[in-house]
Amino acid sequence: MIAPKHILGTFDEALASLRDNVLMMSSLTERSLDRAIKGLFDRDDDLCANAIADDEEIDQLEKQIDKDGVDILLRFQPVASDLRRVVSAMKLSSNLERMADQGTNIARRARKLNQHPPLSEVELIKPMYEHAMSMFKDSVDAYVREDVDLGRALIPRDTKLDELNRVAGRKLIQRMAEDPEQLRGYLNLIFVSRCLERVGDHATNIAEDAVYAAAAEDIRHQPSIAAR
Amino acid sequence: MVSLLKMPETLSQQLPRQMNRPTGESQENAVHVRDVDFAYGNHQVLHDVNLEIPPRAVTAFIGPSGCGKTTLLRCINRMNDLIDGARITRGSILLDNTDIHASGVDVVDLRRRVGMVFQKSNPFPKSIYDNIAYGLRIAGVTKRSRIDEAVEKSLRASALWDEVKDRLDVSAFGLSGGQQQRLCIARALAVEPDVVLMDEPCSALDPIATAKIEELIHQLKRQYTMVIVTHNMQQAGRCSDLTAFFYLGRLIEFGSTAKIFSNPTERKTEDYITGRFG
Repeated sequence: MIAPKHILGTFDEALASLRDNVLMMSSLTERSLDRAIKGLFDRDDDLCANAIADDEEIDQLEKQIDKDGVDILLRFQPVASDLRRVVSAMKLSSNLERMADQGTNIARRARKLNQHPPLSEVELIKPMYEHAMSMFKDSVDAYVREDVDLGRALIPRDTKLDELNRVAGRKLIQRMAEDPEQLRGYLNLIFVSRCLERVGDHATNIAEDAVYAAAAEDIRHQPSIAAR
Repeated sequence: MVSLLKMPETLSQQLPRQMNRPTGESQENAVHVRDVDFAYGNHQVLHDVNLEIPPRAVTAFIGPSGCGKTTLLRCINRMNDLIDGARITRGSILLDNTDIHASGVDVVDLRRRVGMVFQKSNPFPKSIYDNIAYGLRIAGVTKRSRIDEAVEKSLRASALWDEVKDRLDVSAFGLSGGQQQRLCIARALAVEPDVVLMDEPCSALDPIATAKIEELIHQLKRQYTMVIVTHNMQQAGRCSDLTAFFYLGRLIEFGSTAKIFSNPTERKTEDYITGRFG
């Protein structure tokens, strides 16, 4: 159900602006991660540089959202769903910023990898990337549509990403032993894998915040949900 | 259990009981509103209101103007009896499980047990001391030492003592608005009530005076059953343990203040407290 407008139009405008900035930040984070991973797969340093450059704008948006959130708390003293929306927006921006940092880290590792001959083990990263990005997009969707079911269903999906990370890590360590010449390259891929695993963690956090915003329910740290 | 039906005790007899009031989970001094309909003449303003107001807690009544919250507050000490044609048409209000409208209930004693503080401070045109002493004298207390003791105790309880102790004989009109309101609270406390009703007690006060009254409310709830009507959502959130939301004469939602202001069950409550109608 769409909530009716506030009597105070400026309150609606402030909440809409906050939400728009979160959506903008989310789009930029998605683009940054996309560029970073394409820079890795396509061995394109320009894309990596773009991904790293995106981070600056995302950092600024994080600060803007925090500032706007505090401003709304001060000016309008929101309660109930309004308060949850403001708190969630501020928490979302923090998670998005950290996701974008992972994009920057991936881009930096990709640039190092691009300086050496390609490694076929980069294929291990693809399913992880797809899974992490699908989690990311669904978590933001859950927030935008206030979809409690989607948000809740996302939590157990992190287990698969953790498992993919473990499998990739084991294989890459094995390859390091077999092919010590490429040790640095394998190490960089391990870092990339870990970055994607962290993206999944942040997507989980966003989904939890989405559920809180929509239903006032705190589903963090509940093993029963994660195990489903 | 205290019955309203028995003859009023003298205040001097009541004081020790008041001082030794248990602080446990006893329901003594709880107010129960049961199936209450209320009308001013033919105009019904409360519809089937059911509410259990616990002792030693602050219950806030919120809702848009005309929703019936002040009317209900005034029902609790039968203040509406003073208005022609105003009456409870169905249901009952119980204090300590005794119907406050039962025959034999002494209205004067009821109003002593259920004190009231109004929106606008209304000190009597008397000295600070005499304002506090007034209720005691009306109740037949004549011993000067007893009155002195009650005046000091009430002024201390209302956090006014330090500000006025050296000028108890000056006119109450010389006090600031916030001090006058605290004087009215002290006056209500002097007769040792069980329940304190407050009808928008801070609406005419500046933020500092408001903060003092709110702190006072917080202190007083340890001893009294407190009910406050307020239009200030933040005040209700800060001061009360329970909140009742009224709309068009009906109780829409009643629950813990934390729940009402974080995740109300009813859509109407949510829309009102978030400023979407009113």
